[in-house]
This record gives sequence, structure tokens and C-alpha cells, in this order.
Amino acid sequence: MTIETEWRDVDVLVVGSGAAGSQAALAAAEPGGRVLLISKDPIAASDTKISGGAATVRQSGDDSDSVEALSENIRIAGADLAVKSITDAFAEDSRGAYDRFRAQGLRPGIDTERNGPKPRPLPFGGHTKRRTVGHANRGVAFSHAGWNVIVQGGGEGRIDYLEDAWLLDLVTQPDRERGGDAKLLAGALVYHAAGGRLVAMRSPSVVIASGGLSTLYFPKTDTMRGNTGDGYAAAARAGAELVDMEQLQFLPFCLTSPPSYEGLMSGEPVIASFLGVLRDAKGKMILDGVRLRSRAECAAAIMRAVEAGRGTPDGGAYLDLTANAKGERAGPYFMRFLTETNLPAYTNVRQAHGRKVADCEQPWEVRPAAHYLMGGIRTDAFGASVGGEGDGEAGLGIAGLFAAGQAMGGVFGADRLGSTSLTEGAVFGARAGTGAVRHARQSSASPSDDAFQAAIGAWSSRFGQAGNRRAAPLRSRLQQESWTNIGPVRTEAKSDAMEALIAGWRQQLDAIEIPPHVLWNQDFIEFVELTNMLDVAQATALAARERDGSVGSHVRLDRPDISILARPYSTVVARSDDGGWSVRRVAREKTPLGTVVAARLQKAKRLMQARMLRWLPGGLRDRALERRYRAVMG
Amino acid sequence: MDESSSFGTVTVNLVREREGERRTEPYAYVLRAEGERPMALDVLLQAQATTMPDLAFRFGCRARNCGVCTIDVNGRPRIACRARVKESDTLSPMATLPALSDLVVRRDGIARQLMGRLAGGAGANELNREAPDDYHALTACIECYACLHECPMHQRNLDATPPPDPGNGYPWGNPFSLLKLQRLRLDPVSAPQARAAALETAKTLGLDACRDCPGCKCGVGIDLKGLVVKPLVEAAWGPAGDANQESGDGD
Repeated sequence: MTIETEWRDVDVLVVGSGAAGSQAALAAAEPGGRVLLISKDPIAASDTKISGGAATVRQSGDDSDSVEALSENIRIAGADLAVKSITDAFAEDSRGAYDRFRAQGLRPGIDTERNGPKPRPLPFGGHTKRRTVGHANRGVAFSHAGWNVIVQGGGEGRIDYLEDAWLLDLVTQPDRERGGDAKLLAGALVYHAAGGRLVAMRSPSVVIASGGLSTLYFPKTDTMRGNTGDGYAAAARAGAELVDMEQLQFLPFCLTSPPSYEGLMSGEPVIASFLGVLRDAKGKMILDGVRLRSRAECAAAIMRAVEAGRGTPDGGAYLDLTANAKGERAGPYFMRFLTETNLPAYTNVRQAHGRKVADCEQPWEVRPAAHYLMGGIRTDAFGASVGGEGDGEAGLGIAGLFAAGQAMGGVFGADRLGSTSLTEGAVFGARAGTGAVRHARQSSASPSDDAFQAAIGAWSSRFGQAGNRRAAPLRSRLQQESWTNIGPVRTEAKSDAMEALIAGWRQQLDAIEIPPHVLWNQDFIEFVELTNMLDVAQATALAARERDGSVGSHVRLDRPDISILARPYSTVVARSDDGGWSVRRVAREKTPLGTVVAARLQKAKRLMQARMLRWLPGGLRDRALERRYRAVMG
Repeated sequence: MDESSSFGTVTVNLVREREGERRTEPYAYVLRAEGERPMALDVLLQAQATTMPDLAFRFGCRARNCGVCTIDVNGRPRIACRARVKESDTLSPMATLPALSDLVVRRDGIARQLMGRLAGGAGANELNREAPDDYHALTACIECYACLHECPMHQRNLDATPPPDPGNGYPWGNPFSLLKLQRLRLDPVSAPQARAAALETAKTLGLDACRDCPGCKCGVGIDLKGLVVKPLVEAAWGPAGDANQESGDGD
């Protein structure tokens, strides 16, 4: 049986159905664009659904919050790897973008005095202002809003969608206007598994909003299985550049056992409260002031202990919250704080380890798990693919290619503040959708069917491929090796080892058995995703070697930390048409040293205060903590 | 796998579908820890990674949030990542939707029946209104489709000849679709016409099937009967017992 190809014509193809994809589709449909949205999982079953459901909304807490303050918070957290025009756009649009969710049925608690959404009582770590708005039912509530956008069709029925649809490749053609090697998007080739056919989408604009690559690793958090790096890989194969691919966020406190729960979250650093510390297998303290630390700092402390042979039996460390719970007066406040801060994570701990552990009578065994890629497709502040030096130029990117949400790089740099991902999806989804429909209308070149033929030939010939290997077991092996070699701790030798492994696996791709049936062919699906995971593993290995020092979420055991005096740069990875990969650096704008030093001093001061609190005699400390809990919790 | 197998095995029957043919294959799950009580999803993942590399099934978050991994365990819908299995249990594709491959069913006929039928009429200036608790209760729905089980309204789709094309959206409704419509009716921001239209859509989808039905069961514990079905039925035909009071559609 040969697989048939259906042809479709649209103005904008959106890949992905989470916050970014749904908002991109809406923004492209509003001015009248014909939009087709594809999703390999059921629509809206994305990382938006599993997110904490907290959104960053500038000025929701008080009017002194500004675009400059929010933009600067993001860049300082990200060690100046983020692009300033992009963080400015995030800050500028955060309120309007959030209201787009609300127009589709997202209902926050209302602060009647300020006549607006009610923010959480304390700023999240790294935010200098109260601007985090929480929601009943967390990310599930956001995904209802996104679902409504897609199913309602943007109000005018201009959005159609196809689920069970895998992006195979972007299709480009030479851009005659710009000449040289410049490329223009012709569309994309898609496998519609439920229909048992390929779909050739003639589409002058494509928005990649297909999420991250956490499935390249195990353990991973509760991020969706579908995070196999499809968007990054397809963009790279089409010639787009990828930025900061070494900056993968690992959530530090995840479960080590039982097997069904491995990698699921136990809690954020903030749950350590006033007295929580991290200890190694022998009980020696490896990190104090945990609640003041970033996710990256905590994950690095655990993995450095593991690498030094001081890890727990399941390869992690102990998050010791027992001192918090012991206080006669403050203890009950702490337990309320712990359960209220992140109930689903707390429930995970209780289900996995039972009441005694959940009640903090014993330390929690925790380990990092792969979560969120700060890097991604290199774009400008409108989500358009860019090339060139510095922050890049759209004129040097692939015309018609856009990215938004986790698929896009340059927003966060080396670390990501809490409550920013949903806002990111909405802000840049809307921006990319607007840019995409504008490009589609201005584009005079018509997509050439010839440009699709190579991709159709290559992918359709995979159905019925004979071989003696299967994709699924290879994927498990790749996940293990990625953890070891390009995971939470890296060295030059590990990157080299990973590249050698990838080269070996690539040679096996033609020997993978794929049966000929066309309706939901699981082997074909595994093959597609394995191919994508090999590409993003390659990009990560290259970037991890090029970034020759520790910064943010990237930990190099064989190199010192990168100094705050150093000139910031981002790594840029590209694949040429002949299949060769390359990496280079582009310069970034530095936040004035005085501002960075002031932020560091502030943190050092708070850490010292935390230590002094820990050193107080028991009874005195208990009373002091009770007062503090009362002040923030009532 | 020497060390793992020392913890024992649990054998489960997997119902596999391929190109219209169905067969049952046993799989012996190798326990990975002392006293492990595996979830259905653990069994599927291990089978695929070892002896059944082409085993097809859906899953997403492993944490009961995404609603994607629903299958039937011994004939009843369960969320696979949180459904513990025991010796000789049978895992099969959800009986309420057409099977595509092994445990994967075609889901899109459900959502597509609401395409273009959810206009709320919210204006940007009216957004700062607190939603009632019932609204938030309905937002907990993760779209796992466990509620299709034994639903007399959805059964009309399965009984219809010729069978409806899911690609066009099913003609008859289900508790999930009713939940979406009732949510629109509870939203303080919805325009009055939107609320009326939502009720009409519910009737068109076969709300009358709910009048004699003892009630539906939600996969994540939402009170579907109390919060969705009862308010819609009462809005359409008046409180129970007054069946003739407002019956405007001759049903």
C-alpha cells in the first residue's frame, strides 16, 4: 500500500495547540486569514494544560510595576542571554495578552478595589513586583480557553484544525526577491495518522508553536510526551537557526520512586520555606537558603553531589524540610503553606511515599528532571525567523517562518522565572500570528508544488521500510544517553561522546523496520520522533560544548562558572543543506554592572538573614517564624 | 533484566487492533521494585520498550492532567496513568469511540461537533467579574472522555446507520459537550443570547436522552449530573416532575 497525499491551501499553518498555538491561530484569523492548526495530540492537550496556571501580568499588583522593571527581571534571571527587544515585548504585551485568555473564558479571582485580576500575595522568586495571577484548576483552565479559540474557529470560522497530525518537514523554495541562498517558505508536509495520509500544506506562513524537547531525557517532569523537539528539528532541517540550545531547565525537586512517579514534581524551591536545606546521602548540607535559590542553582547542587559520588540510592539528594515542621507554633503554618503552595506536587509526594514523608517527619529524596527549553528557534520580537549577528535580522532568516511559546528562543536566556510560560505563549503567539498573516498577504511568490516532491518522496518511502531494528527501543537508549551526556551536568568529553553516539544511530535509521499500513502507523510515528530527537540532541551537544563555562541552567563540570564581568553571548546552532552542523556565538547586550551587582548583594543579604534565622535557639526561632507566617498568610 | 525479574511479574491481556483485525496478546510486566503496584500506563510503556515495539497507545503527562491516555480496563474507562492493574486484567481501546490502532481511538468527532457553536459574546470591558464556584468546578474537566461510557445520547451515534463520519463531528452529544455548553451558560461574561443559544445547541445534540438517564460518571470526579445535566434539563423542560410544563419542542 502506498500512502496518498492530499493537498491543502491556507494562509497560515500553525503547528501546536497550546497557549501559543491557539493565540497565534486567533491572531491570524482575526484580520481574515485562513488558518489551519495541526496538533499531534488532541487539541489543547499540551504543556499549557499541565502548567501551574499562574500568569505574569504587569501592574496587576501595583501601578509602580513597569515595562522596564519586568523586562529587567527576566534578563537578570537569564544572565543577559535573552534578547532585550524580546523581553521588552513580553513586558509591554503581558496585560493585553492575558486579557485574550480572559475573553475566551479564563476567569481569575477579581480584586474589586483595583478592578482587575487578583495577584498572589508574594512575588515569585526573581520578580521584584507582585504580578503573578493564579487560577482555579491551574493550567487546565487555560487550556479550556485555548480549546474554545480553536473549536469556535476564531469567531468567524476561519480556523480549521487537524489533530493526530505530525509535522514531518517544512518545505522551502529559493527566495528570488532576496536572491543568493535566501529561502522562502512554501509550506509543510504533515502525516495525518487518523486519516492515514500525508497532507501537503501550501502555506506561505508557518507558526511553530509545538513546545519543547523534554522527552529527549528520562527522567522528565509531567510535561507532555509529545515534547520530542519536532519544531526545532524541522526548523533546523529547513535552515533556520537555533539559539541557546544548551539552556534546558531541569526542575530540581522531582520524585525518584516509585517507577510510575519518577520525575513528577515534588515542589518548587519556595516550599523549602525558612528552614529547608538540601543534604547529600551522608546528611551533609549541600545547599542552604533553598527557598531563595533558583531552580537552576538547586538542580546544580544536587547533580554536583551525585557526580561526586555523594548521591542518594536513587541518584538524587535529600530535601530536608523537617526543621520547618518541628516548630510547635510555626510547624502547623508551614504544613498549610506546603500544601497550599502546590497541592498537585504535594499530592504526588504523599501518593509516592506515604503520610510520614509527606508530613515532613523524614527528608524527601529528590532529583532533577528535564522540564523546559529556554533556547529554541531564533526569532525577533515578532516571532519571525532571523539570521545574522547580534540580535539578528528577519531579512536574513527564512521568509514566512515564525515561532512562538517554548519553541521560540531568546525570551528567557539562561533561566526562567516562575509564572512566565503561559504569558510567553499568549504574547508571542499573538505576535507571531499577526506577523504570519501579514507575511502571507504581502508574499507575491506562489508555493511551488515541485518544492514538496522531495519531502513527499522521502517520507512516503518510509512506509514499508524493511529492517532489523525498531525505533521505540532506540528512543529509550537515546533518553538515557542524553541524560548522561547532555543532561544536568556536562563536559566537553560528554558532548563529544554524545555526538559519536548520534552519528552511530543516524546510520541505523535506514535499518529501522516500518510496516506498510498507513492508518496510525506507530512505527512510523516513532521513527519521525526519533529523527527529530537525534537532531535536537545534536544541536544540544554542540551548544553545550561551545558554552565553555557554567551559566544558568547549563553546568559544565570541567570549566569554571562564567563571570558576571564577562561579555554575554548566545550560542547559535545551524544545519546546512548537506546535513553538516555548525555552532557560533552572537553578542548580547549587558545589563549595567551596577544593577547586576545590586541584585546579587540583595540576594546575599537575604541568604545571610536566612542563615541567622536558622542559628537562633529553638524556642525563639519558633516564635519569630510564627510571626512571619502570620504576616504573609493571615 | 536479572535483578528486576526477582520482584516478579504481572501478566495483563492487551487487546490489539490493526487494520480492523482484533487480537488479544498477554504481556508479562516485569516488576521494577519490591511491592510495585504498576499503573496500566507502566505496562504499556514497558511492553513497547521491550517485546511490542509497535504497540500503539496515547499518553501525555503521566500525572492525570492531560486526559489523553484513557483506555478501558476490564471494560470500564480508566485514566491509564493512574489506574493500577492486577494479574489477568484486560486493557482495551475505549469502546465508545472507533479504534484506529491497538489502544488508540479516534477522538476528534467529539470536539468537532461544537465547532462554531460556542460564541460567548464577551466584551473586553466586562471581564472583571467573579465567576461562580460551579463555573470553576466545570473547568476541572481534563477531556478524558470517560463520561461517554454508557451515555444514551452518545449511543445514538454508535447505533446510527450509516455510521457518522467523526471528521464532521458527531451529530449526537455527550456529557463533555454538555459541560462546555453549560460552562458558557454559567460564565458571568456571556451575553444572554449566547446562553440561550447554548441551551438550543444542547437540545439539538439530543439533551432529551438525559431525561430518563440515571446519570453519567466523570473521570476526574466532577458532579456531571448535578452541575451539568440537571440544570440543562431543567432549563429546557422545567424541574423534574413537571415534564410537560415547558416542553416547547414537542418531545
